[in-house]
Amino acid sequence: MSGGAPADVRVEVGAPPATGPLLEVGDLRVDFRHGGRTIRAVNGLSYALSVGRTLALIGESGSGKTVSSRAIMGLLPPSATVSGSVRFEGEELLGLSDKAMRRRRGADIAMVFQDPSRSLNPTMRIGAQIAEAVRVHARVDRAAARDRALELLKLVRLPSPEQRLHEYAHQLSGGMRQRVVIAIALASKPRLLIADEATTALDVTTQAQIMELLRDLQRQLGMALVMISHDLGLAASFADEVVVMYAGRAVEQAPTRELFAHVRMPYTKALLDAIPRVERPPHTPLPVVAGRPPDLAALPAGCPFAPRCPNAQDMCRETAPPLEEGSPGHRWACWYPCEDAA
Amino acid sequence: MGAQLPEGEAGGVAATLAVAPTVAEPAARRRGWTRNLDLIIPGALVGLLLFLCFVWPLFGTVPPPTGGNILDANAPSFSEGHFLGADQVGNDLWSRLLYGGRNSLEIAFAVNVIGLVVGGLLGAFAAFWGSFVDTVTMRILDVLIAFPSLVLALAIAQSLGPSKLHTIYALCFFSVPAFARLARAQTLRLRERPFMLAAGLAGTRAPRILLRHVAPNILPALVTFALLGVGVTIILEGALSFLGLGVPPPEPSWGNMIFEGQAVMSAEPKLVLLPSAFLFVTVLAFNLLGDALRARGNAS
Amino acid sequence: MKANGDEPLLSARNVVQEFVVRGHGGVKGGVVQAVSDVSFDVRAGETLGVVGETGSGKSTLARSVLQAPRPKAGSVRFQGTDLVGLKGRRLLEARRSLQMVFQDPFGSLDPKWRVFDLVEEPLVAYGVGTRQERRQRVREVLDTVGMDPDVYGRRRPRQLSGGQAQRVAIARALTLDPALIICDEAVSSLDVLIQAQVLNLFERLRGELGLSYLFIAHDLALVKQVSDRVAVMYLGRLCELGPAEALYREPFHPYTVALLASIPSPDPDAPRAQAHAAISGDPPSPIDPPSGCRFRTRCPRAQERCAVEVPEMRELAPDHAVACHFPVERGTALSP
Repeated sequence: MSGGAPADVRVEVGAPPATGPLLEVGDLRVDFRHGGRTIRAVNGLSYALSVGRTLALIGESGSGKTVSSRAIMGLLPPSATVSGSVRFEGEELLGLSDKAMRRRRGADIAMVFQDPSRSLNPTMRIGAQIAEAVRVHARVDRAAARDRALELLKLVRLPSPEQRLHEYAHQLSGGMRQRVVIAIALASKPRLLIADEATTALDVTTQAQIMELLRDLQRQLGMALVMISHDLGLAASFADEVVVMYAGRAVEQAPTRELFAHVRMPYTKALLDAIPRVERPPHTPLPVVAGRPPDLAALPAGCPFAPRCPNAQDMCRETAPPLEEGSPGHRWACWYPCEDAA
Repeated sequence: MGAQLPEGEAGGVAATLAVAPTVAEPAARRRGWTRNLDLIIPGALVGLLLFLCFVWPLFGTVPPPTGGNILDANAPSFSEGHFLGADQVGNDLWSRLLYGGRNSLEIAFAVNVIGLVVGGLLGAFAAFWGSFVDTVTMRILDVLIAFPSLVLALAIAQSLGPSKLHTIYALCFFSVPAFARLARAQTLRLRERPFMLAAGLAGTRAPRILLRHVAPNILPALVTFALLGVGVTIILEGALSFLGLGVPPPEPSWGNMIFEGQAVMSAEPKLVLLPSAFLFVTVLAFNLLGDALRARGNAS
Repeated sequence: MKANGDEPLLSARNVVQEFVVRGHGGVKGGVVQAVSDVSFDVRAGETLGVVGETGSGKSTLARSVLQAPRPKAGSVRFQGTDLVGLKGRRLLEARRSLQMVFQDPFGSLDPKWRVFDLVEEPLVAYGVGTRQERRQRVREVLDTVGMDPDVYGRRRPRQLSGGQAQRVAIARALTLDPALIICDEAVSSLDVLIQAQVLNLFERLRGELGLSYLFIAHDLALVKQVSDRVAVMYLGRLCELGPAEALYREPFHPYTVALLASIPSPDPDAPRAQAHAAISGDPPSPIDPPSGCRFRTRCPRAQERCAVEVPEMRELAPDHAVACHFPVERGTALSP
């Protein structure tokens, strides 16, 4: 059931959830079998998240960030093999029966996805959808569920909530739809919310509104938030801790300020350098890293970033560096990390 | 930053599959044949049927399907000269099954090929030009589709007289609008794709776009539809024959063999059962083949 | 011949584009005013960035420039010839040096074609050269974008990654030796590192081939990275148009100010505050845009005049124009 947690993760055995971490992921691994090949989507991911905190899981396509969160929620297809440990309030989630997982899902852990149009039923009115979500996890009658739905719409600051209850999804804009999706996610007061690229499809002004909303809701409801994104800028503005993933592994983890002030892993540095900055003048040459992410079905021995890394040496190609704490709270997986800029 | 991610990333699994490039294609193919059984088995079956019906009688020892010796009437299976026996008038049953199959399949192929080409062109043109051309074409086809096709087929066969050719005409009234509808839907979807605009911007003119861009992209769906249509057409031809139309006796077709055999079904059940069995297996094989190709078409 | 003395390479004047929204049964449900009275120039050798959010009309503007479809009103002069009103062969000839790269790299490539044929298509369509010469040009252009023709020439799009597919699209755009390339969110669907590679490719091509770009994106930092001048659009109208550096440092239009405030930045040394929501609410519907200034419903500086009079583009600084009755002057806050 649960694999042994690696030494660098604090395991609070028997500690009540209030003081220990809310969510602990230990050496999570997810494999897919496809066409005779094994794709290692997640290759050993560990992190811990406490109540009320925000963790940003940053990576590009294929980094494993989305797959790992679906593993937590038990939403992977049968072709996936999951191993490792995911502890929520001390209870192991991997290996739970479908029924037990469904009770957890939505009630304690909720997820918000990228495209709100796909998460909403186009044939049901908004009010009905939220009420349905409320009644899945609480025994209340229709009227009470309706009231709660209105309450939730006000909570997510949807303009004219009374009117919206009777509208359909297509009558709302993208930003409004995402607010509705968040309202549905919050229906049963989850303690953990996973936002998977929740603002990627939105305009930048709407994105800022939604992120602020999430942050305020966190404080109000004492919720922990895992935000999955490719946008380091977003993480910098809204996250307490950042985990950078590459080829299924965590390659750097640190509190936000620390990470941006003292980048160690060359991949993280490459990401930071490659992002266009409003502060820079036009036509500033972008330092590029050549090549593409590795084939997850044929991962090279050694560090997965080695073929593209400017710091790579022989050791990098032979042995994969472990994720180790190099300075307080700051872990990285690199043999030849970057130095601080002078 | 607001950068948009490829569609797949939202789906998680799809992203990991999309990122892993198909450089390892040779490896996948090496063990491919076991996973392609859904294609190989019906494919082989169809191949066998085609061989038996079209090739085997050319050089195999198959007696003629008509003009049998009345003295051989109702000969049992495995009797001399008659592998599966003979029918009421002494025609060899095996031969009638093969030649009947040839007739049935010829009709089915003709109807579906004409449907694909004529209907496909009509539908693609209508969707491509849009507006007036589209509206007029589709209204005409709507009328044809709405008309009960079997009744129409009967009416044609009755007024022109039963023959293989007339059966094909009648059934084309059925297949052409169906293909046109499909081709139109496919082309409409295709028109929205950016590469169509890109082709126009590259300077390619409309006829060439239709030929080189539209046709290759809608053809898989049409071919799959045609394969499924073969099964439907054989049954329709059987229905027409059963009603006394379709291929006129003494020329065999599976349909008219069933029709003639049902009169003596209690005495000689094999006269009905054997053509029915062949009909069933053929339709099943084409359907499975069509399904397998559709599954592959959806994957790519 | 790319530059033509003083005349801009591309000159759009009072472009209007509308779409009729049909309700059920084909009944006219409303008119989307996608682009309303937009005028701008792209000078030879420069990159003009166009930035805006959903519904701003920037993509529609790009397609209108290409006459796909023709704008309802206005003129688009490219290399001295007005494209509006041209049809068929004459449009093709006039538009030859104008190409486009789309957002979805896979969507813009016919999945049934091979890379080589895809890149060769413009040459075939315009009847350029012999078979041999076309082959040579395709090889040349694939090399330019960093794709080995021998390795990738026979591949189909599904055998390429996103970055590679976009390079093929760029190669195709280069075959006819264009003067201006319109990039419609050309890097928005690529991963960060690949995006940087493709952006560097654009810069290199700019230097080597003297290309001009009309670069459309919703990402402000991205647009600034590549542009000499930037145009900001909102709900079909131009808000502000000026040199990139100046516009970002001291924007005049309240909408530009709000946009800039919303961008999250990973730079801990950034002098700007962290990202925050500077304007509330959602953009109004383009079918029924607000009267007068379209931004007034969300603008903290809006007054009566804004509902009555449509603001015209006025030059407030050298080469820097704004369409606003109460622009943000130097030193003032966003809210008066």
